[in-house]
This record gives sequence, C-alpha cells and structure tokens, in this order.
Amino acid sequence: MSLTETEKKKGEKKDREPVRITGLPFFPHFLLREVVVMCFIAGSLILMASIYPAGLLKPADPFDTPTPIYPEWYFLYVFGFLKFWTWDIGPIDAKMIGVTLPMVLWYGLLFMVPFIDRNPSIDIRKRKVAVALGVIALLGILYFTYFSIVHH
Amino acid sequence: MSLLDNINEWIYSRFKIKDLLTSIVKHPAPDYAVTNPLYCLGGTAFLCFLILVGTGIFLAMYYKPTPLEAYKSVEHIMTVVPMGSLIRSIHHWAANMMIAAVMLHMMRIYFMGAYKKPRELNWVVGVTLLLITTTFGFSGYLLPWDQLAFWATKIGTGIAGSIPIMGQYISLLLVGGTDIGAETMTRFFAIHVMVLPLTTAILLVLHFAMVRIQGISGRL
Ligand code: HEM
Repeated sequence: MSLTETEKKKGEKKDREPVRITGLPFFPHFLLREVVVMCFIAGSLILMASIYPAGLLKPADPFDTPTPIYPEWYFLYVFGFLKFWTWDIGPIDAKMIGVTLPMVLWYGLLFMVPFIDRNPSIDIRKRKVAVALGVIALLGILYFTYFSIVHH
Repeated sequence: MSLLDNINEWIYSRFKIKDLLTSIVKHPAPDYAVTNPLYCLGGTAFLCFLILVGTGIFLAMYYKPTPLEAYKSVEHIMTVVPMGSLIRSIHHWAANMMIAAVMLHMMRIYFMGAYKKPRELNWVVGVTLLLITTTFGFSGYLLPWDQLAFWATKIGTGIAGSIPIMGQYISLLLVGGTDIGAETMTRFFAIHVMVLPLTTAILLVLHFAMVRIQGISGRL
C-alpha cells in the first residue's frame, strides 16, 4: 500500500474515532517500549525462579496437620478478617459474617464500583470520596493481611 | 525481489492481510499512555498469562493428577526433567507476578477513574478476571499434593463451603465428596488447565476489544 493510501485511510478513520488524540503509532514506537518492558519482566521472572525455586514440602498426609498453614499471600486478608471478626450480630453467627463479608460483600462492592460512583469527573481533586474509600479499602486489606500473619 | 518480498506478495495477493494490519500497526497510542509506566500493568498481567500458558503446557506434559502420583510427578519435574525445575519455578513466579500486576492495574483504573462512562462494563469484566486469576492460584496450589497444598485447600474449601446458600454447592463442585481426595484433584486439575484458561482467554478478548473500541481513557 502506498503512503498516500495509508494517509487517506487514517484520515477516514479520524472521523470515527474522536477519542484518539495525538500519539505514537503502535508500531514501531509503542511496541518498542512494550518489548523493553517484556524483556525486563521475563528477565526478573527467570532471575527469581533461579534464586528462589518453587518449593515442594513433604507429601500430603491427611492425618498430620502441619503448623502453620499459610494460604497464598493474596488470600491472607480473608483469613485475617475471619480471625478478626468475633461478634455475632443478632442470630447471625460471627463465623458466617467473617466468611461472607470479605468474599461476597467485598467482591459485590467491587463489581458495582462504576454504578455506585456516579461522579463523572476523572480529576482526582474532585473525587475526594472515591479516593478516600479506595485508600480505606487498601489499608483494610493490608491490615487484615497483617492480622492473619500476627494472629496465626 | 527477495524471497521475503515474494512470500509477502503471495500472501497479500490472496488475503490482503496488510490492509487489516496497517490500521492496527499505525494505530496511535496517546502520549500519556506511552510515557506513564502505570499503563504497563495490564500488559504485564497479559504477558504473565502468556508465560503461564507456555510453562503450564510444559508442566501438564509431566504432571499426573492423582493422589498417588501427583507428588512424585512434581518431584520428577524438579529433579529429573531437563529444565523442569526452572520451568516450574517460572510458572510459580509468573503466577504471583500476574496477581500482583492485576491488582496494581485495578488500582490504577480505580484511582484514575478509568472505569467511568463509557467503560463500566470493562471494569465488570476486569473484576471477573481478578476473581479468575485468584481462582487460578487457588486451584493450582493443590496440584503438587504436598502438605501445604493439601491443608491449605482443606481450609480454603472449608471457608468457601461455609458461605451461606452458595457454600454447599461450591464445596460440592470443588471437593466432589466429603474430603479432599482423588475427585478433588481431577476437578482442580480440570478447572486449572481447561476451564479457567478458556474463560480467561474469552474475557481477555472482550477486555481488549473494549479498550480498542473505546480508546484508552486519560488526560493528565
Ligand atoms: C487478567 C487480568 C487483566 C489483564 C491482562 C488486563 C489487561 C489490560 C490492558 C493491557 C489494558 C490497557 C491499558 C493498561 O494496560 O493499563 C487494560 C485496560 C483496562 N482494564 Fe484491564 N486487565 C486485567 C484485569 C483488569 C481488572 C481486574 C480490572 C478492574 C477491575 C480491569 C479494568 C480495566 C479497564 C477499566 C481498562 C480501560 C482503562 C482505560 O481506558 O484507561 N482490568 N486492561
């Protein structure tokens, strides 16, 4: 395809894509940055894998409970919350709340974020409530993760 | 004309692929997305996923999903199979990195407000991807069938099983009986290597298509 044809195509495209503003073409500039990042990631993975190989403990034994049992780090906050919440609410058992809140309610809220936050602004200074709630959620997760490690 | 030109010409005269490609290849990426490394996080998660698929296929060729053989087959991968230890460790680290990248990616979307109209549905697809990514980790954890695998799964399925209403179905579906055993292993294996990769691939196509159609959000 000749250059002029390409230009014409791009011109036509512009009308249909008002979202796009100035920028670097995907190829080669953007892709080059991607390749650099990819090499960095692949390199760190190989490095980590060589220094800290994946572990393998003793074979599973259903009659010997080991201590401590840690789940993967990204589930720790669920355990932490379960340990943290010891209060029954009316007829609802504390355990039930400890299980339901971090899994059902938390994910439910996450799914609903765009429908709860009706503020159209993307300027961080005009989104104080959303940002504050986000920071609180983050701190909460960090705290319960910490809690699960300390109160093992 | 070189050989490469000839091949190009041959394909072009039949499929006109180049016309399709130019629109992809010349598609501009906005400056702020190129210079701000926070925009790399989604791509990082995707690269991790690709690495996981590659190393995962390798592992699946040696792994045996039964309580009697699973542990031995993983031991075999770690000690006998050429590069086995490296490949399994890369699988391990890529899994952790993918989860971290997905979480950070989500934080970027949240704090930049990139989920707002018209991108609501892409956020929903995203949260589903996050759920799937962690389920990948959960199902993969059992497969080596060592002490940690067994007991962490016992506790994890116990917790999932005590969610009101859904719990009993979840634990029936996952455990496949009253205790963690051969049924659980084959279930976790099928979920880990068939169900989740397929759903992830489908959701990623949706995710990327939406990013492409709506453009990347931004100002700065
Ligand atoms: C398997 C996991 C995921 C992969 C591979 C992935 C990949 C990507 C990529 C490559 C982009 C382009 C921009 C960027 O990289 O920042 C993107 C954009 C986006 N992602 Fe994800 N993502 C994943 C999970 C998620 C999650 C968990 C969420 C949120 C809950 C999410 C919500 C979004 C949204 C709303 C956009 C559009 C952002 C914009 O227009 O600025 N994604 N994703």
